[in-house]
Amino acid sequence: MNPTDSKTNPGQVNRRQFLRDGGRATAVASLGGLLGMVLGRSQAEGYVWQIDPSKCVYCGNCATHCVLEQSAVKCVHAYAMCGYCQLCTGYFEPEPNALNTGAENCQCPTAAIQRTYVEDPYYEYTIDEDLCIGCAKCVDGCTRFGNGSLFLQIRHDRCVNCNECAISKVCAGDAFVRVPASQPYLLKTQH
Amino acid sequence: MSSLLARLGGGNEWRLTAWVAGVFAVLLGLGMAAGYLHAGRTDPIDAPRLKALKLELQARPQDEALKQQIRALDLVLRETYFTRLSRTSTGLYLLLGAVTLFLIANGRIANGRKRLPVLKAGVPGLPPPENKGWSRWAVAGTGAALAVFLFLLSLGFTSALPGDAEALEALFGPAPTDAPVMDAASPEEMRQNWPRLFGANAGLAFSSQAPSSWDTNSGAGIAWKVPAPAPGFNSPIVWGDRAYFSGGPPEKLEVLCVNLADGQVAWRQTVADVAGTPKGDLEIPESTGYTAPTMATDGRRVYAIFANGNVAAYSLDGSHVWTKAFGALGNPYGHAISLATWQDRLVVQLDQGDSEDGKSKLYLLNGRTGEIVWQKPRKVGASWTTPVVFEAADKSQVAALAVPWVISYDLKDGSELWRVDCLNGEVTPSPIFVGGLLLITSPSDRVVAIRPDGQGDVTKTHMAWENDDNVPDVTTPASNGELMFSVTTGGTLTCLEVKTGTKVWEHEMDMDYHASPTISGNRVYLFSQSGVAVIVEAGREFKELFRTGMGDSFHATPAFTADHRMVVRGMSYLWCLKGAANEVQSP
Amino acid sequence: MSHVRTPAVAAPGRNIRPAHRGLWALTMVLFLLGGAALFAEPRFPPPDFESGHVLPETTTPPARAVWLEYLDIAVLAGGLIAATYFIYRKRSRTGLVALSIGSILYFGFWKKGCVCAIGSVQNVTLALFDSGYALPVGALAFFVLPLAFAVMWGRSFCAGICPHGALQDLVLLKPLKVPAWLEQGLGILPYIYLGAGVLFAATGSAFIICQYDPFIPIFRMNGRVAMVVAGIALLLLGVFVGRPYCRFLCPFGALLKIGSVVSKWRVRVTPDYCTQCRLCEASCPFGAMRLPSPGKAADAAAQAADRRRLLIAVVLLPVLIGAGAWLGWAFAGPASRMHPTVVVAEQLLRAQDQPPRTGVLTPEDRELDRVRQNPRQTLTEAMGIRRQFNIGTPIFGGWVGLVIAIKLLSLALHRRRTDYEPDRGDCFSCARCFEYCPNELVRRGVLPASAIPPMNPAPAPQVPAPAPFTVAASACGCAGKEGA
Repeated sequence: MNPTDSKTNPGQVNRRQFLRDGGRATAVASLGGLLGMVLGRSQAEGYVWQIDPSKCVYCGNCATHCVLEQSAVKCVHAYAMCGYCQLCTGYFEPEPNALNTGAENCQCPTAAIQRTYVEDPYYEYTIDEDLCIGCAKCVDGCTRFGNGSLFLQIRHDRCVNCNECAISKVCAGDAFVRVPASQPYLLKTQH
Repeated sequence: MSSLLARLGGGNEWRLTAWVAGVFAVLLGLGMAAGYLHAGRTDPIDAPRLKALKLELQARPQDEALKQQIRALDLVLRETYFTRLSRTSTGLYLLLGAVTLFLIANGRIANGRKRLPVLKAGVPGLPPPENKGWSRWAVAGTGAALAVFLFLLSLGFTSALPGDAEALEALFGPAPTDAPVMDAASPEEMRQNWPRLFGANAGLAFSSQAPSSWDTNSGAGIAWKVPAPAPGFNSPIVWGDRAYFSGGPPEKLEVLCVNLADGQVAWRQTVADVAGTPKGDLEIPESTGYTAPTMATDGRRVYAIFANGNVAAYSLDGSHVWTKAFGALGNPYGHAISLATWQDRLVVQLDQGDSEDGKSKLYLLNGRTGEIVWQKPRKVGASWTTPVVFEAADKSQVAALAVPWVISYDLKDGSELWRVDCLNGEVTPSPIFVGGLLLITSPSDRVVAIRPDGQGDVTKTHMAWENDDNVPDVTTPASNGELMFSVTTGGTLTCLEVKTGTKVWEHEMDMDYHASPTISGNRVYLFSQSGVAVIVEAGREFKELFRTGMGDSFHATPAFTADHRMVVRGMSYLWCLKGAANEVQSP
Repeated sequence: MSHVRTPAVAAPGRNIRPAHRGLWALTMVLFLLGGAALFAEPRFPPPDFESGHVLPETTTPPARAVWLEYLDIAVLAGGLIAATYFIYRKRSRTGLVALSIGSILYFGFWKKGCVCAIGSVQNVTLALFDSGYALPVGALAFFVLPLAFAVMWGRSFCAGICPHGALQDLVLLKPLKVPAWLEQGLGILPYIYLGAGVLFAATGSAFIICQYDPFIPIFRMNGRVAMVVAGIALLLLGVFVGRPYCRFLCPFGALLKIGSVVSKWRVRVTPDYCTQCRLCEASCPFGAMRLPSPGKAADAAAQAADRRRLLIAVVLLPVLIGAGAWLGWAFAGPASRMHPTVVVAEQLLRAQDQPPRTGVLTPEDRELDRVRQNPRQTLTEAMGIRRQFNIGTPIFGGWVGLVIAIKLLSLALHRRRTDYEPDRGDCFSCARCFEYCPNELVRRGVLPASAIPPMNPAPAPQVPAPAPFTVAASACGCAGKEGA
């Protein structure tokens, strides 16, 4: 009711206060202990998720398991590795009807790969990331039958960097790794 | 209509707003849900109809109408998909806006209506006691429900997964037994070879009969001399009848293996295609280069690290085992810390940047796979000294140096054992472990001996001695267990007593040194930048035994073989010198 | 953005590169023979262009800058200080509402709700158990700061900084009273969820707390359908039931609750002294208001019964922990299937006698192909994980038993309370009850000090005269636009 009232049983109040102080000391100590244990393992730089292209088995889960409706995983092109083939095994269906850009010949379900003529007999293939859904059909074709210059990467302008990447749990190649945010890509290169 | 609005709004515009926003949100939400259910997931990825048509086309490749049909369907599919995406996004924003408006309006209405309770007279002063009986049952009920849930989940559980190693063996046969438990050479083999920078024993060769004299002009005492196969500042290492080192320009970094019999390159591997290799110019000065760190071997594989943060492992016969990219290393002179091994593990010390950057780390990698066994963040800046692996106080330790700390870690799990605050400047001379003491050189400052059996910060308690006479700034001292020999860049050669740290003698060589002194038997070898080799006696008085000009320039520390030879890497040539004993063997 | 493919027109350069003739046949044969072996040399050497064509650069949009992470920590710390200031100094609900909106915008919609304090529990756990995982400082700060504040000032974090809590708090329009028994019965769920989250994070299986977070999809405006539906359903429920996720699920709330039970300072309804006017009795939409104990006589009677119950609960404690541990042990196998390695290892064993699939490969086929390369390693890993679960799930089960036992213990504990006060653990510090207190209205200058009875030195709880409260009510009610 009021402060004087609680003095009717000072012993009980003191005991409760003592327990509470003890509890708080324990809580602070355990929090401090935990902090001490993990502080040595902490680092200023955060992690982001990335696909190790050497482990990727281009299974197609990236297109369907990202928390974003349109996956943050996109096909990326290492142009220096590309053979600029006229018959691009990433671009064309197996045994294409003709080597032209008709839909019946193309693998990409969203027409995200653009094929442009460079010089005889070379063609350049570029990815329109607004259209790419990361289904890896082209990566499959390029890696198995071509130079492997097309590969999947998580694009960090789209990735929301989930605490635990939803695709990583279903990745058939176990290719999802946490990488330092300052070096967020594992690009394919060739010297 | 207006009367309906008036009734809904009750004369209050907020009420009307709430109604409109609420109804709009509900309708929009229902519409979107219906749209979703209707469309399903119209992913263009699996479009069965399109697939069927494409199959049909294979049967009739000339059918133009079919092609047109495919193109039309493809277009429709793609348009549907992207339209749905953009519609969903717009719909969600509208929904969010409507809900927000609804909440604001409701808040306004609630504000307008807010009425705090009023007590009537005559109500009893105190509330009735609570009945906790129901609560108890509810807690028990929740617990029981959970227990039943767990129990049901575990009912009828069977797993083909073998329970223990024996069951695994039953499935796949015994684990390959030819693979030893520890896939590395024995300590005795390590001692006989030169598995890392300064060898396995603080710059002291296993053979006590390494060359005592040679002649560049006549070729006497020189097993062979070949033009340097690749540029680079790192020192050679020796395993068996081969020497290993790294080299090459930044665009073609290589690991090389040279036959000790004839100096021919046995194999060379370019370290390329490592995922995660930093791109662009790393601004590493040419005076250090990309190949400053010396390689290391565990007797089964050789390991190399480059200034771009790439680590590579090759088998002794040159086949690729693994590569790993640690990314660009922040270091004003370029990364130069050499590698060390422990059993079949590789110690990689990546100290970089400033101590505030928090980027420095010590790694222990599995030599067979390149996997990280443990990693330990180090709150220090860049450093240039090679970590030393040693056994002391019943523990396998590795000591790593960076201003101001010497820190020793337990190799088993990476836990910190002890640390000493004793370093200044740009620490470059590496620590050596001699006679139970860890000899630390703080460049141009002092040499400190530490007893490596402490715990925690042992700066005040475990320093055996210190000496500030002619302390080297670049080279690492060598020791035969009793005496320690160090040489400064300017050429002051100093001999200290290992046990006490007292100076025994000093001598001015008047030459510039980057290569560290090494010892075989009673000889201390010194190779100057100007190409002059000098042998002095490893004794309590200064005595020059031999001196010769070699027409080369030396920055790398030589390596010794068990059969009395030494491999010296000059800027122009790779040399193999043979000892007197070799002459007897090969008549 | 064009959705239309360029029409099929023969492009210039009709000649196929000679290397490509019969390519499909060749590569298919190679593929069938030796699998998709990667050649060290590129199959089709990159061309040297005569036209001087310059290769496009592969773009790499950067990840979020590190300084932004420090900004998050600064905003979090500043928000916690502001919330505490609003709760204790200003006693202002308006301030907390403003903070809530700011938090929903910043931590919610701007940061997409990630990393949040609730999920950080798992990051810290993983850092403890996996030496290869370095804990980002941001995650550590989100874990430690709210807890540190809870130990000192109670749940300031829940009051207006946590975007999940803020979202639920703002949609609470028509609070219904949840019966006490239901409140207590469901109140143990957060601790169990916490235990499960720690178990699966420690074994590296999954971050279930993130996976089943109902509000993240709302902040992202994107997500799995099931979770979007769950989030909307929970928010609709939240219109009538105050903060359902916070009270009955939130695992970090469970930790904060433990912290605030022993907090140094506590939220009080009244800024001065309690007149026992009962006006605040129903003010709390979260069932956190605790009423004064009934008179001495009723107290004594209840005490005897409670002693007996206390004894039973103490005896039950080891029994419940043991039973939980046993159940947990039985649950180890199914639980380990949360780890993808265990799942694929079991698939591998099932498919051991079947030849690898050919034709169109599903993701599962490809995964099997991968682990077939080194089945022993996968199985060894899976067995290791199963072993971890054999240890972990009994501990989890024991924890569940402990939680139930302690709840029963606390229900049997008899506390004598003289004033109306919010429960230390259950109170979200939302500041709703403040304005119900006539003493608060005096403090704000709405009522004259003479309007309420003076502090009574004699402990004789009597019904205060109703008159002042009519004044109080009208003082508040007059703010409205509507007439009574």
